[in-house]
Amino acid sequence: MTKAVSGAPRRFGCRFSLGMSEYILEMRNISKSFAGVQALKEVSIRCKPGLVYGLVGENGAGKSTLMKILAGAYRADAGEIIYKGAIRDQASTAEIIDSGISIIYQELALVRQMSVAENIFLGREPRKRLGVLDLKLLHERSSALLERLGIELDLHLPVSELTIAQQQLVEIAKALSQNADLIVMDEPSAILAGSELDQLFRIIESLKSQGVTVIYISHRLEEVFRIADEVTVLKDGELVATRPIGELDRATLVEFMVGRPLDEVFPQTEHEQGELVLVAEDVSTDTILAGVSLELYAGEILGIAGMVGSGRTELARALFGADPLTGGSVQLVARGKTKWGSPAQAISAGLALVPEDRKAHGLFTALSVRINVTIPILPSLTRLGVLKRAAEDEIVREAQARLSIVMSSSDQETQFLSGGNQQKVVLAKWLETDPNVIILDEPTRGVDVGAKFEIYKLMRQLNDRGIAIVMISSELPEIIGMSDRILVMNDGRIAGELAREEAGEARIIELATMGGSEAGQS
Amino acid sequence: MNLGASLFDGKSKGRAVFLRRNGPIIMVYAFILLLVIIGITQSERFFTERNLTNVARQSAFLGIVALGQMLVILTAGIDLSVGSLVKVSILVSAIVMNGESGNVLPAIIATLGLGVLVGLIHGFLINELRIAPFIVTLASLVILRGVGLTISSSPVGKASREVMMFYVQKIGPVPVIAWMFFVLIVLTMLLLRYTVFGKYLYAVGGNIEVARLSGVPIKAVRYGVYVLCSLTAAVTGLLWLSRMGVGDPAIGDGIELQTITAVIIGGTSLFGGRASVLGTLGGVLLLGITANLLVMLGVNQFIQGLIQGLIIVAAVALYKQEGD
Repeated sequence: MTKAVSGAPRRFGCRFSLGMSEYILEMRNISKSFAGVQALKEVSIRCKPGLVYGLVGENGAGKSTLMKILAGAYRADAGEIIYKGAIRDQASTAEIIDSGISIIYQELALVRQMSVAENIFLGREPRKRLGVLDLKLLHERSSALLERLGIELDLHLPVSELTIAQQQLVEIAKALSQNADLIVMDEPSAILAGSELDQLFRIIESLKSQGVTVIYISHRLEEVFRIADEVTVLKDGELVATRPIGELDRATLVEFMVGRPLDEVFPQTEHEQGELVLVAEDVSTDTILAGVSLELYAGEILGIAGMVGSGRTELARALFGADPLTGGSVQLVARGKTKWGSPAQAISAGLALVPEDRKAHGLFTALSVRINVTIPILPSLTRLGVLKRAAEDEIVREAQARLSIVMSSSDQETQFLSGGNQQKVVLAKWLETDPNVIILDEPTRGVDVGAKFEIYKLMRQLNDRGIAIVMISSELPEIIGMSDRILVMNDGRIAGELAREEAGEARIIELATMGGSEAGQS
Repeated sequence: MNLGASLFDGKSKGRAVFLRRNGPIIMVYAFILLLVIIGITQSERFFTERNLTNVARQSAFLGIVALGQMLVILTAGIDLSVGSLVKVSILVSAIVMNGESGNVLPAIIATLGLGVLVGLIHGFLINELRIAPFIVTLASLVILRGVGLTISSSPVGKASREVMMFYVQKIGPVPVIAWMFFVLIVLTMLLLRYTVFGKYLYAVGGNIEVARLSGVPIKAVRYGVYVLCSLTAAVTGLLWLSRMGVGDPAIGDGIELQTITAVIIGGTSLFGGRASVLGTLGGVLLLGITANLLVMLGVNQFIQGLIQGLIIVAAVALYKQEGD
């Protein structure tokens, strides 16, 4: 049944029918390689209708590649896809969507200027005669969909006005509007926090009850245990295991993923509070920050918690001089209370920022690893104005060894690296500038368990060298496990400071979610 | 987790990457070769020293500006004003020179100064007023053309004797002007590969926000690149003076589109972050040889435009395929 039958109808890319089976989707022995790198090796998965399938694995394990093959974005070198009982041939994205498969990528595919309703029905707008847009029907159908999902959104609002979490809901509504029978969610939780996550899970449960199959890709194991019926683990492009969730515990799953047991998730070191390094006073911006003050000490990790949209990322940008301050000041004590008004000045003062949105703010995705790592220190690598290529290469080699970055060469474009390796490249860049304050905005987002642990270890090593770290994170275990002190943000202000000993998830959530009037300065 | 060493056996991978990156450029040069063969077999006049010298000189005229244009496009910008600037440059240099040997240096200084000034104005509008490069340079295309035609709508001024001689001078069999182009090609390659400024051009074009957050002085980079581009146009204006002998206001029109065409054929991305000097050279030669050959073969000049358009579409289609 692997050979093509010529002359068969090609609608929806199907060659011929095999009759119905109990599986809605079977991907059999899928292999794929890129420029000599085997990304997938004979991987098979199968899904029944109305169940949730967790797909987990470290970065570079092949999860995204497998889903892109399902989406028709890549073509498998070998193997076959049987969908709804028929072998699917190479089909266009439109045909695949028509056939009931929807993929919600981490990078949301919405047109920011268009409204919620327009986005949901983009390309499939209801029309009246002569092709005139039927706005009434558009809004009726959109609100029916949102009702089905149990969410409230202003249909007329442009997507650019929504939070990322809301945008994701629009994507889900869009998938439903396409009558999807199979929805793939690629790390949906990476951009969600707290209650938003609960909402997502409620929606997934409701999709399940409506007979929709969900493939849920995630790095966060707690979520997989919470939502999945069956889990498939990939490693280095190969299938390690597929198990019903009931047969798995956390330790086993981690071992499947990394190939070794992970005893200690958050590495600890004992150290005393160092000297005062950085002082921010009454920092305000025209984004959301309204008078944030903080002090940062050498060798500590200051955790910043809070909901998405509470001003955490804005605080990071303000500290780094990326956004202009409308009030207050940021000063580095060690360098004689210097101020800065641009990232360039902040960098030379000893600051570094590993941004939340790696692809938009952290990496030149279309450029080489080499330039990505050396860009902030290029002027120091010259002799008489000429760049020393050997010195550049040496720096990249050292960074590669130190952070165990997996890459084919220093010429490789960073877009072809996996998430964890991309993050390591960004970290490597900032280690080169020899900073004394590093701001990490969601340092482990989109990063697998193994690389996460490496990043935690690196943070501790930096602490030991006296480097102060500001860590923003949506993952409460990470905040609690790594921080020496925790600031909780709420509506552009600091809602409270917690010492490591007194910090619990409940207390943080309480501070992060209390109403505006209570959320004054602590 | 470690896909590393075993899977990357150097040679075949290296070759694959080389082909992926350079395949289209190789095609461009293969096409040039094909044109040359057609020229040799179909026209007696094509492969003569006289004609090849002409092709080399004409390619240099276009190529020098194309190098400047390429650097601007590398930063995800564009400079539509180069043609008009060539026009104003030939007029200004001809008027200042006015046929006197003693005025050659003042004329060169005035013309290059004009180039620097125009570049700085572009940089200012793009950096400080945050106007898109396309709009800024579209405006200066119109303004500079207006300035040129206001200065004179008929030929003015005069080149000095030495300047006119410069056009025909050769070192070996190659015209000095072509040597100039060659030197600029090498300098541009060195700039992109071995200078911080060159790397910053990639960074600004690759992602300007990442560049800013990495401490790249993006304003200085954009001032610099627009000044460099305007300078190539000013230099080309001077070269046109040495060819025409007078300040001819008909010179310069359309150069902006020809340079952009050459740069695109050469594989430089209009979205920035990617550039190829050898590709741009290929684009320039392809355009130059096509135009020359069509004349040699007696093809109607209006059809030449059609053919050039087809070349652009073919080249870009080629890159699209390779890019996937």
